[in-house]
Amino acid sequence: MTFRLLSAAVLAGAVVLPAHAAEPMNDLEIAHTAYTAGQLDIRYAHLALAVSENADVRSFAETMIRDHSAVNSAAVDLITELNVTPQDNDLSRALVKGAADKRAELMGLSGNAFDCAYAQNELGYHQVVNKTVEDSFIPAVTVAPLKELLTDALATFKVHEGHAEQMVSNLQCG
Amino acid sequence: MRLTRRRLIAAGGLTAAAAALPAAAAPPVRVRIRKFAFDPKTVSIKAGERVEWVNEDIAPHTATEDNHLWDTGELERNGSATLTFDTPGTYAYFCAFHPKMKAQVIVTA
Repeated sequence: MTFRLLSAAVLAGAVVLPAHAAEPMNDLEIAHTAYTAGQLDIRYAHLALAVSENADVRSFAETMIRDHSAVNSAAVDLITELNVTPQDNDLSRALVKGAADKRAELMGLSGNAFDCAYAQNELGYHQVVNKTVEDSFIPAVTVAPLKELLTDALATFKVHEGHAEQMVSNLQCG
Repeated sequence: MRLTRRRLIAAGGLTAAAAALPAAAAPPVRVRIRKFAFDPKTVSIKAGERVEWVNEDIAPHTATEDNHLWDTGELERNGSATLTFDTPGTYAYFCAFHPKMKAQVIVTA
Protein backbone atom coordinates (compact mmCIF):
# COMPACT_ATOMS: atom_id res chain seq x y z
CA MET A 1 0.00 0.00 0.00
CA THR A 2 1.25 3.43 -0.79
CA PHE A 3 -0.06 6.80 0.16
CA ARG A 4 -0.10 8.52 -3.19
CA LEU A 5 -3.75 9.34 -2.63
CA LEU A 6 -2.72 11.77 0.04
CA SER A 7 -1.50 14.07 -2.67
CA ALA A 8 -4.51 16.28 -2.74
CA ALA A 9 -5.15 19.97 -2.95
CA VAL A 10 -8.74 19.79 -1.86
CA LEU A 11 -9.38 23.47 -1.91
CA ALA A 12 -7.19 26.15 -3.33
CA GLY A 13 -4.58 26.79 -0.71
CA ALA A 14 -6.55 24.94 1.93
CA VAL A 15 -5.18 21.49 2.42
CA VAL A 16 -2.24 20.02 0.66
CA LEU A 17 -0.85 16.76 1.82
CA PRO A 18 2.28 15.44 0.21
CA ALA A 19 2.54 12.46 -2.06
CA HIS A 20 3.98 9.45 -0.29
CA ALA A 21 5.21 6.66 -2.44
CA ALA A 22 7.30 5.37 0.40
CA GLU A 23 7.17 2.05 2.21
CA PRO A 24 3.80 0.88 3.51
CA MET A 25 3.01 2.31 6.91
CA ASN A 26 2.81 -0.06 9.83
CA ASP A 27 0.21 -0.02 12.59
CA LEU A 28 2.28 2.15 14.89
CA GLU A 29 2.90 4.72 12.18
CA ILE A 30 -0.78 4.79 11.27
CA ALA A 31 -1.70 5.25 14.92
CA HIS A 32 0.76 8.11 15.21
CA THR A 33 -0.53 9.80 12.09
CA ALA A 34 -4.19 9.48 13.05
CA TYR A 35 -3.48 10.86 16.52
CA THR A 36 -1.46 13.72 15.05
CA ALA A 37 -4.24 14.62 12.64
CA GLY A 38 -6.65 14.88 15.56
CA GLN A 39 -4.29 17.02 17.61
CA LEU A 40 -3.77 19.38 14.69
CA ASP A 41 -7.48 19.86 14.25
CA ILE A 42 -7.75 20.67 17.95
CA ARG A 43 -5.11 23.36 17.45
CA TYR A 44 -7.04 24.81 14.54
CA ALA A 45 -10.11 24.88 16.77
CA HIS A 46 -8.34 26.73 19.56
CA LEU A 47 -7.21 29.31 17.03
CA ALA A 48 -10.80 29.69 15.83
CA LEU A 49 -12.00 30.25 19.38
CA ALA A 50 -9.34 32.90 19.84
CA VAL A 51 -10.16 34.78 16.64
CA SER A 52 -13.72 34.15 15.49
CA GLU A 53 -16.77 35.96 16.81
CA ASN A 54 -19.17 33.93 14.68
CA ALA A 55 -21.38 31.76 16.91
CA ASP A 56 -21.61 28.90 14.41
CA VAL A 57 -17.87 28.84 13.82
CA ARG A 58 -17.19 28.89 17.53
CA SER A 59 -19.70 26.11 18.14
CA PHE A 60 -18.05 24.01 15.43
CA ALA A 61 -14.63 24.63 16.95
CA GLU A 62 -15.87 23.58 20.38
CA THR A 63 -17.24 20.38 18.85
CA MET A 64 -13.88 19.69 17.19
CA ILE A 65 -12.08 20.06 20.51
CA ARG A 66 -14.60 17.89 22.33
CA ASP A 67 -14.80 15.09 19.75
CA HIS A 68 -11.15 14.89 18.72
CA SER A 69 -10.11 14.96 22.36
CA ALA A 70 -12.43 12.02 23.01
CA VAL A 71 -11.08 10.05 20.05
CA ASN A 72 -7.48 10.72 20.99
CA SER A 73 -8.18 9.83 24.60
CA ALA A 74 -9.49 6.49 23.39
CA ALA A 75 -6.34 6.11 21.30
CA VAL A 76 -4.16 6.75 24.33
CA ASP A 77 -6.14 4.19 26.31
CA LEU A 78 -5.59 1.65 23.53
CA ILE A 79 -1.86 2.16 23.14
CA THR A 80 -1.52 2.00 26.91
CA GLU A 81 -3.45 -1.26 26.96
CA LEU A 82 -1.36 -2.67 24.11
CA ASN A 83 1.83 -1.32 25.68
CA VAL A 84 3.14 0.04 22.40
CA THR A 85 4.59 3.36 21.27
CA PRO A 86 3.28 5.01 18.11
CA GLN A 87 6.00 5.84 15.61
CA ASP A 88 6.61 9.26 14.16
CA ASN A 89 6.90 9.14 10.40
CA ASP A 90 7.16 11.24 7.25
CA LEU A 91 3.42 11.65 6.88
CA SER A 92 2.97 12.79 10.49
CA ARG A 93 5.77 15.29 10.03
CA ALA A 94 4.27 16.53 6.79
CA LEU A 95 0.93 17.02 8.50
CA VAL A 96 2.53 19.01 11.29
CA LYS A 97 4.45 21.20 8.82
CA GLY A 98 1.37 21.78 6.66
CA ALA A 99 -0.74 22.69 9.66
CA ALA A 100 1.87 25.14 10.95
CA ASP A 101 1.87 26.88 7.59
CA LYS A 102 -1.92 27.00 7.52
CA ARG A 103 -2.12 28.36 11.07
CA ALA A 104 0.33 31.11 10.14
CA GLU A 105 -1.91 32.01 7.23
CA LEU A 106 -5.05 31.96 9.36
CA MET A 107 -3.48 34.13 12.03
CA GLY A 108 -3.17 36.91 9.48
CA LEU A 109 -6.92 36.99 8.96
CA SER A 110 -9.89 38.26 10.93
CA GLY A 111 -13.66 38.59 10.67
CA ASN A 112 -15.42 36.87 7.81
CA ALA A 113 -12.16 36.26 5.99
CA PHE A 114 -10.92 34.18 8.90
CA ASP A 115 -14.23 32.36 9.31
CA CYS A 116 -14.33 31.39 5.66
CA ALA A 117 -10.69 30.32 5.57
CA TYR A 118 -11.10 28.27 8.73
CA ALA A 119 -14.33 26.66 7.54
CA GLN A 120 -12.92 25.80 4.12
CA ASN A 121 -9.80 24.39 5.67
CA GLU A 122 -11.87 22.25 8.04
CA LEU A 123 -13.87 20.90 5.12
CA GLY A 124 -10.79 20.14 3.07
CA TYR A 125 -8.89 18.71 6.00
CA HIS A 126 -11.67 16.33 6.94
CA GLN A 127 -12.21 15.29 3.33
CA VAL A 128 -8.57 14.32 2.91
CA VAL A 129 -8.14 12.74 6.32
CA ASN A 130 -11.39 10.79 6.01
CA LYS A 131 -10.46 9.42 2.61
CA THR A 132 -7.06 8.42 3.91
CA VAL A 133 -8.47 6.73 7.01
CA GLU A 134 -11.15 4.91 5.04
CA ASP A 135 -9.19 3.87 1.95
CA SER A 136 -5.72 3.37 3.36
CA PHE A 137 -5.45 3.21 7.14
CA ILE A 138 -8.36 0.93 7.98
CA PRO A 139 -7.59 -1.65 5.27
CA ALA A 140 -3.89 -1.65 6.22
CA VAL A 141 -4.15 -1.97 9.98
CA THR A 142 -3.55 -5.46 11.32
CA VAL A 143 -4.45 -5.08 14.99
CA ALA A 144 -8.19 -5.55 15.48
CA PRO A 145 -8.73 -3.02 18.30
CA LEU A 146 -6.94 -0.31 16.30
CA LYS A 147 -9.02 -1.11 13.23
CA GLU A 148 -12.14 -0.85 15.39
CA LEU A 149 -11.03 2.47 16.86
CA LEU A 150 -10.28 3.92 13.43
CA THR A 151 -13.67 2.74 12.19
CA ASP A 152 -15.45 4.41 15.09
CA ALA A 153 -13.35 7.52 14.67
CA LEU A 154 -14.14 7.68 10.96
CA ALA A 155 -17.86 7.78 11.78
CA THR A 156 -17.16 10.81 13.94
CA PHE A 157 -14.97 12.50 11.35
CA LYS A 158 -17.55 12.02 8.62
CA VAL A 159 -20.09 13.88 10.72
CA HIS A 160 -17.53 16.65 11.09
CA GLU A 161 -17.07 16.76 7.32
CA GLY A 162 -20.82 17.19 6.84
CA HIS A 163 -20.92 19.83 9.55
CA ALA A 164 -18.01 21.69 7.94
CA GLU A 165 -19.71 21.56 4.55
CA GLN A 166 -22.82 23.13 6.09
CA MET A 167 -20.71 25.77 7.83
CA VAL A 168 -19.01 26.75 4.56
CA SER A 169 -22.39 27.00 2.88
CA ASN A 170 -23.89 29.11 5.65
CA LEU A 171 -20.99 31.53 5.66
CA GLN A 172 -21.58 32.32 1.98
CA CYS A 173 -17.89 32.70 1.36
CA GLY A 174 -18.26 32.87 -2.41
CA MET B 1 -43.25 19.15 34.47
CA ARG B 2 -41.37 17.35 37.16
CA LEU B 3 -38.29 15.69 35.90
CA THR B 4 -36.00 13.45 37.78
CA ARG B 5 -32.51 12.98 36.50
CA ARG B 6 -29.95 10.45 37.42
CA ARG B 7 -26.68 10.60 35.61
CA LEU B 8 -25.03 7.23 35.54
CA ILE B 9 -21.55 7.39 34.19
CA ALA B 10 -20.43 3.87 34.93
CA ALA B 11 -21.85 0.45 35.46
CA GLY B 12 -21.18 0.85 39.15
CA GLY B 13 -23.35 3.93 39.19
CA LEU B 14 -26.11 2.03 37.49
CA THR B 15 -26.09 -0.61 40.16
CA ALA B 16 -26.07 1.90 42.97
CA ALA B 17 -28.93 3.90 41.54
CA ALA B 18 -31.00 0.87 40.70
CA ALA B 19 -30.69 -0.36 44.24
CA ALA B 20 -32.25 2.84 45.47
CA LEU B 21 -35.34 2.43 43.32
CA PRO B 22 -38.57 0.85 44.58
CA ALA B 23 -38.72 -2.83 43.85
CA ALA B 24 -41.79 -2.42 41.66
CA ALA B 25 -40.26 0.30 39.46
CA ALA B 26 -40.34 -0.64 35.80
CA PRO B 27 -36.98 -0.65 34.06
CA PRO B 28 -36.39 2.45 31.96
CA VAL B 29 -36.84 2.42 28.23
CA ARG B 30 -33.38 2.48 26.77
CA VAL B 31 -32.27 4.73 23.93
CA ARG B 32 -28.91 3.82 22.48
CA ILE B 33 -26.80 6.57 21.01
CA ARG B 34 -24.62 5.08 18.31
CA LYS B 35 -23.21 6.17 14.99
CA PHE B 36 -24.47 9.67 15.69
CA ALA B 37 -28.13 8.68 15.96
CA PHE B 38 -30.66 8.00 18.70
CA ASP B 39 -31.97 4.45 18.51
CA PRO B 40 -34.95 4.22 18.57
CA LYS B 41 -35.78 7.68 17.30
CA THR B 42 -39.17 7.61 19.02
CA VAL B 43 -39.97 6.11 22.39
CA SER B 44 -43.46 6.02 23.90
CA ILE B 45 -43.91 5.76 27.65
CA LYS B 46 -46.57 6.41 30.26
CA ALA B 47 -46.34 9.32 32.66
CA GLY B 48 -44.08 8.44 35.55
CA GLU B 49 -41.90 6.09 33.52
CA ARG B 50 -38.27 6.59 32.71
CA VAL B 51 -36.01 6.81 29.69
CA GLU B 52 -32.35 5.93 29.83
CA TRP B 53 -29.86 7.19 27.23
CA VAL B 54 -26.63 5.27 26.76
CA ASN B 55 -23.85 6.71 24.60
CA GLU B 56 -21.99 4.04 22.63
CA ASP B 57 -20.07 6.50 20.45
CA ILE B 58 -16.57 7.74 21.12
CA ALA B 59 -17.75 11.32 20.76
CA PRO B 60 -19.67 12.85 23.66
CA HIS B 61 -23.38 13.49 23.15
CA THR B 62 -26.38 14.93 24.95
CA ALA B 63 -30.12 14.44 24.80
CA THR B 64 -31.47 17.98 25.06
CA GLU B 65 -35.13 18.92 24.77
CA ASP B 66 -35.70 21.35 21.90
CA ASN B 67 -36.71 24.16 24.27
CA HIS B 68 -34.19 23.10 26.89
CA LEU B 69 -36.92 21.85 29.25
CA TRP B 70 -34.60 19.00 30.12
CA ASP B 71 -31.10 17.85 29.31
CA THR B 72 -29.08 14.77 30.13
CA GLY B 73 -25.88 16.77 30.28
CA GLU B 74 -22.76 15.54 28.51
CA LEU B 75 -22.60 11.79 28.11
CA GLU B 76 -19.15 10.42 27.49
CA ARG B 77 -18.56 7.05 25.87
CA ASN B 78 -20.50 4.38 27.76
CA GLY B 79 -22.01 7.08 29.93
CA SER B 80 -25.73 7.07 30.61
CA ALA B 81 -28.44 9.24 32.07
CA THR B 82 -31.98 8.43 33.14
CA LEU B 83 -34.87 10.89 33.22
CA THR B 84 -38.38 10.39 34.64
CA PHE B 85 -41.24 11.94 32.70
CA ASP B 86 -44.31 12.83 34.77
CA THR B 87 -46.15 15.13 32.37
CA PRO B 88 -47.83 13.84 29.19
CA GLY B 89 -46.67 15.39 25.96
CA THR B 90 -44.42 14.97 22.97
CA TYR B 91 -40.88 16.03 23.66
CA ALA B 92 -38.59 16.55 20.70
CA TYR B 93 -34.95 16.54 21.53
CA PHE B 94 -31.53 16.70 19.90
CA CYS B 95 -27.84 16.40 20.67
CA ALA B 96 -26.56 19.81 21.71
CA PHE B 97 -23.14 18.95 20.27
CA HIS B 98 -24.37 17.47 16.98
CA PRO B 99 -27.71 19.17 16.27
CA LYS B 100 -28.57 16.98 13.30
CA MET B 101 -29.19 14.15 15.75
CA LYS B 102 -32.91 14.37 16.53
CA ALA B 103 -35.49 12.15 18.22
CA GLN B 104 -38.56 12.35 20.46
CA VAL B 105 -40.15 11.01 23.62
CA ILE B 106 -43.94 10.61 23.67
CA VAL B 107 -45.47 10.54 27.14
CA THR B 108 -49.10 9.49 27.55
CA ALA B 109 -51.34 9.71 30.62
